[in-house]
Amino acid sequence: MRSKPAGSSMAVSLRRHFNYEERTALLFIAPVMSVLGLVAVFPIAYSFYLSFFSIKLTRPNRTPFVWFDNYLDLFRDELFWTAVLRTVSFTLMSVTAITVLALLVALLLNETFRGRRLVSTVLLIPWAIPYVADALMWKWIYDSGYGALNGLLYQLDFIDKYMVWLGDQKKTLPLIANAFVWKEVPLATILLLVSLKSIPQDLYQAARVDGAPLMQRFFHITLPSMRTGFMLVIIYETMMAIRHFDLFFILTEGGPGTASHVLSWEIYVETFRNLSFGSGAAMSYLLALVTFALAYFIIRTLGRSV
Amino acid sequence: MQSSQEPSVVKPVRARSINYERQAKILGWLHRGVILFGSLAVLLVVLAPVTWLVSSSFQTEAEIVSVPPHWIPEQPTLKNFQAIFSASADETVTYETRSTQDPSSGNYIPSTARNLLPAMRNSLAVATLVVIFNLLVGIPAAYAMAKIRFWGRSGSVYFILMTRVIPDIALVVPFFLVIKNLGLLDNIMSLVITYLAITVPFTVFILIQYFEGLPDELDKAARVDGCSRLQTLTKVFLPLSLPSLVAVILFAFLTSWNEFLLALMFTQTAQSQTLPIVLASFTSDFTISFSFINAAGLLAIVPPVIIAIVFERYIVSGLTAGAVKG
Repeated sequence: MRSKPAGSSMAVSLRRHFNYEERTALLFIAPVMSVLGLVAVFPIAYSFYLSFFSIKLTRPNRTPFVWFDNYLDLFRDELFWTAVLRTVSFTLMSVTAITVLALLVALLLNETFRGRRLVSTVLLIPWAIPYVADALMWKWIYDSGYGALNGLLYQLDFIDKYMVWLGDQKKTLPLIANAFVWKEVPLATILLLVSLKSIPQDLYQAARVDGAPLMQRFFHITLPSMRTGFMLVIIYETMMAIRHFDLFFILTEGGPGTASHVLSWEIYVETFRNLSFGSGAAMSYLLALVTFALAYFIIRTLGRSV
Repeated sequence: MQSSQEPSVVKPVRARSINYERQAKILGWLHRGVILFGSLAVLLVVLAPVTWLVSSSFQTEAEIVSVPPHWIPEQPTLKNFQAIFSASADETVTYETRSTQDPSSGNYIPSTARNLLPAMRNSLAVATLVVIFNLLVGIPAAYAMAKIRFWGRSGSVYFILMTRVIPDIALVVPFFLVIKNLGLLDNIMSLVITYLAITVPFTVFILIQYFEGLPDELDKAARVDGCSRLQTLTKVFLPLSLPSLVAVILFAFLTSWNEFLLALMFTQTAQSQTLPIVLASFTSDFTISFSFINAAGLLAIVPPVIIAIVFERYIVSGLTAGAVKG
């Protein structure tokens, strides 16, 4: 459905089937559709196709068709389930923290006060910087030898000797989540602020007349009215957390042990270190499916409740 | 925290022993206190890590390994930045010469420091091309979906919505094989093409949102006056949608500038490596000077931070518009 078909017969038939409006519209959306078809739909379909083959770059000439073996192997692989568990716990803690903090900051920015502009501009900084810079900044802060976290806690007398942070299996995931939350809260705040601003003021007036105290107004008006905002933030941040890769690559490389071995890291290791593209494709495909399903599920449940 | 208008509520209806005026005053102070505390907390949490990064980048190697840390450099130095900006910095250390040096004197600035500026140029080129392609394919599509009635309109909007949900990590494996077969590995064009997948859906959404907000009468008037659809778009709608175009340009630019995963897969040498890739290569080497890594990090965050501060208004409105449907 390109602009000027070479054969005039095709042009004629196009003209017969679509009026000017429709032809222009098709012409206008054709570039986007072909670009997205090429760089989004085709890769997803291709990875589905690849996931049925055993493709190893270590033996490039033999790529046998193996049916569902890649998937079955995954489900039997203990490391895969570890990765799922890590991804789930990283996502749960990050999304919870992001939502709560963003709500607090949004409530703050919803007030009018001197310096509000300054706060909201500064808040954009974490959003704007690259994840790689975010990662190296926190890596340096968490550094067990000379890091700022140790230095600060030591100077404030919370600890009497420098501690290991990222290298401690129990602390790794929360610390990575912290770097993630630091960068994601600004966007979540902006989204929540929109829904906070769209709450009609007369609702509050009415509640005040009825004598509802601050806390009741908050729990019965503010929170329920922000349902769409919360939904948006939770969907978006869940999708971001599930697929997140950059921080894991730079801060820990999945370690120590398997403490931060999340799915995206597992896909990377399987594909580019073990050079096993078939099972890498299978995992990528599962991740995409889960993302779609989650988005759908969250929209359905949150959209319906209350 | 909805208590900004608290005083107006407290009406002295019944005469009780409570001093309402005083109560309102206390509430007012409390309110101001909470706001002050909240603002300071936000500023501190956001700025402290960044300030530490900046402070570290000006410290000498001897100073940066002090325990406890020097929060403000006592002998600020520009040596890290010299290593980046002057290719012939004599302090540059390679793997070969490093072992001969005294570890306590530090100065472990990698020879790859001179890749930073070319990497910045690559990042800039990729981001600019991505922005151009985004505008070229995004504007007409968004206009058609917002203002023209045609069969399959809502279908195409949903299609765009779907493509926004696809995780980038799921695209890596198939992309890699395709890019490899096309012979585009280690070529910035591979990045330009693949970044379209993560930027175009957002671009189209923001623009649809904006165009839908412009009155239909505008569209009709232009059409009655004999404008073709293309003329209506370029002469009537585009001049009016400057704010959303600015937002679109910024988002596509920042996304490309910051992207790491795809660049990690498709670039191999300094010829195509972008800034995040070169930065990441420093962090995995434990012998590289901390202060140098921080200086390189500073180089990567300065452009986005300036953009964020200058264009704050456009960014916030763009994010808001893109969010409503996304």
